[in-house]
Amino acid sequence: MSFLDIRDLTVVYTNGRETVHALNDFSLRLERGKTLGLVGETGAGKTTAALSIMRLLPERTGRVLGGSVTFDGADLRSLKEEEMRVVRGGKISMIFQDPMTSLNPVLTVGEQIFETLELHNIENRSHQQLWERVDEMLALVGIPPERKKDYPHQFSGGMKQRVVIAIALACSPQLLIADEPTTALDVTIQAQVLAMMDELKQKLDMSMIMITHDLGIVAQTCDDVAVVYAGEIIESGSFEDFFMQDKRRHPYTRGLFGSIPNIDSRERRLTPIEGLMPDPTNLPEGCRFHPRCPDCTERCRTERPTAHERGGHVIRCHLFEKEGE
Amino acid sequence: MWKYVLRRLLVMIPIIFLVIFIVFFIMNITPGDPVQMILGNDPPQQAVEDLRRELGLDQPFFVRFFNYIKNALKLDFGLSYRSRRPVFEGIWPKFPTTLLLAVLTVTVSTVLGVILGIISAVKEYSAVDVTLTFTSLIFASVPGFWLCLMLIIVFSLKLHLLPSSGVGSIRHFILPVLASAIPSAAYLARITRTQMLEVMRQEYIRTARAKGATEKRVIFKHALKNALMPIITIAGTSFAAALGGSMITERIFGLPGIGNYILTSVQAKDVPVVMGSTIFLSVIFMVMMLLVDLAYAYINPTLRSRFSRK
Repeated sequence: MSFLDIRDLTVVYTNGRETVHALNDFSLRLERGKTLGLVGETGAGKTTAALSIMRLLPERTGRVLGGSVTFDGADLRSLKEEEMRVVRGGKISMIFQDPMTSLNPVLTVGEQIFETLELHNIENRSHQQLWERVDEMLALVGIPPERKKDYPHQFSGGMKQRVVIAIALACSPQLLIADEPTTALDVTIQAQVLAMMDELKQKLDMSMIMITHDLGIVAQTCDDVAVVYAGEIIESGSFEDFFMQDKRRHPYTRGLFGSIPNIDSRERRLTPIEGLMPDPTNLPEGCRFHPRCPDCTERCRTERPTAHERGGHVIRCHLFEKEGE
Repeated sequence: MWKYVLRRLLVMIPIIFLVIFIVFFIMNITPGDPVQMILGNDPPQQAVEDLRRELGLDQPFFVRFFNYIKNALKLDFGLSYRSRRPVFEGIWPKFPTTLLLAVLTVTVSTVLGVILGIISAVKEYSAVDVTLTFTSLIFASVPGFWLCLMLIIVFSLKLHLLPSSGVGSIRHFILPVLASAIPSAAYLARITRTQMLEVMRQEYIRTARAKGATEKRVIFKHALKNALMPIITIAGTSFAAALGGSMITERIFGLPGIGNYILTSVQAKDVPVVMGSTIFLSVIFMVMMLLVDLAYAYINPTLRSRFSRK
């Protein structure tokens, strides 16, 4: 079994009137020490997947209908709340998208890093030792430790994201889920933060799920890639499967790569994928992608495709049925 | 920071002058002649004129006003028409009763209001929340005097548990404190609920949960401190108002506090006492508001840095 193994996870959001099908039979695997890029458009279910692993779905509206999440041999869905708290922040950490709002404005950044350490202080270290660790963490993410007494509003966006990363890494987690960690940052800072995360990942030997809609980031940082569309993984495989050969690809993935501007060709316009993501309250019959698919057949409209695997490269599309056998 | 405090204190000076002018003017145009109040009906003509001259009432409005200001600057607020003693000799002895009532009221209402508000917010839309929201709506809307009377009827007349008026023991304060604290607790509970719900939706609350913090810690350490600003404003304002004496509560429960004293002085047209106590109250109110603002700076680091920059 893989280090992190998500099988057939189904999550809905309900608000009384409508049911949003956020994740449908979502399956994902991640090996120890690897980085997985979770790619998809806004609203595809990337963040929902992350929150489901952490069991932090909005209490009132979010509901897991089925499936399993196994992490390091433990079934996360059946853990008691207090057992889950040990996992959160200790074994699995999460970095949220917007550093501007993910830090508490009334606590100093030092206090916020310290809190994680205090909550997961298994070795019973003294407060002084924990504060030394706070200094260490700040230094690790490139912030002068003297600034631990400052409040979030005294930091720039990039610095705040570094603090968020310091909080997430403080307890040396085995898995880091980074939910679009650089989307809110400008490009130069983006590169710095990504390089730093990669370096820290090597140093601390942890696994990482990098949630992003930026294929450039995937190319820079990931070992494996999974593409999410309308709440399901439509294609997953190694970095090579995605970036080295272009024959075997899901039509959606092909579209995604096609919409990247090419520096060699002189095209003036981008080639986007026609149409929009389906309404998650009313998903299409058959293959979720068929209304936008250039290779759509009669069968795609009615029958939902299953996952076809060849050498670890999984594609959920009827087109790849025969060659998989 | 100290610069800011100093500036706020300086701004109080013109405000106090304005307050003095307004009260002086109102006391001047309202009907009722203090001389007649003092001497009773049908006094001899000579006595009326002597007293009028003695009190300076024969002078025009602005002359009297400037004389008052001139004396007030020397901290001389005149003599009470009734007792012929300096005004503040009458006010000070009333202050401890009012202070005790105010402290108890604000403590009870803040503790009760904040706790109930948090419960409501955490259990949003549950039966507990609906009951609390509904009850607090009722208690925030009922008139204060009605609540006073109901408490007396229930606890004094029917149950014979507590005295209905007077002072003497702490038991005499239970009903007045309840009467003033319940409406403001109800109001505070509603504000706290709204604020907490707003804060609990913020991303940093999710960050705190993702760290593995317990729900208790998330609520009290991360959410409450962020929800505190409006709560402090209301608690501070109601404390300032309570220090000015809750006139209705003090009157109904027969407590010899400042509110009660002002009411009798207004009825007796005892202008110097009314003036003196109004100035006293406005200074207290302004100082309280300053303390509230300083409390903001204490809990909100964004404001703190703004203060220190000035």
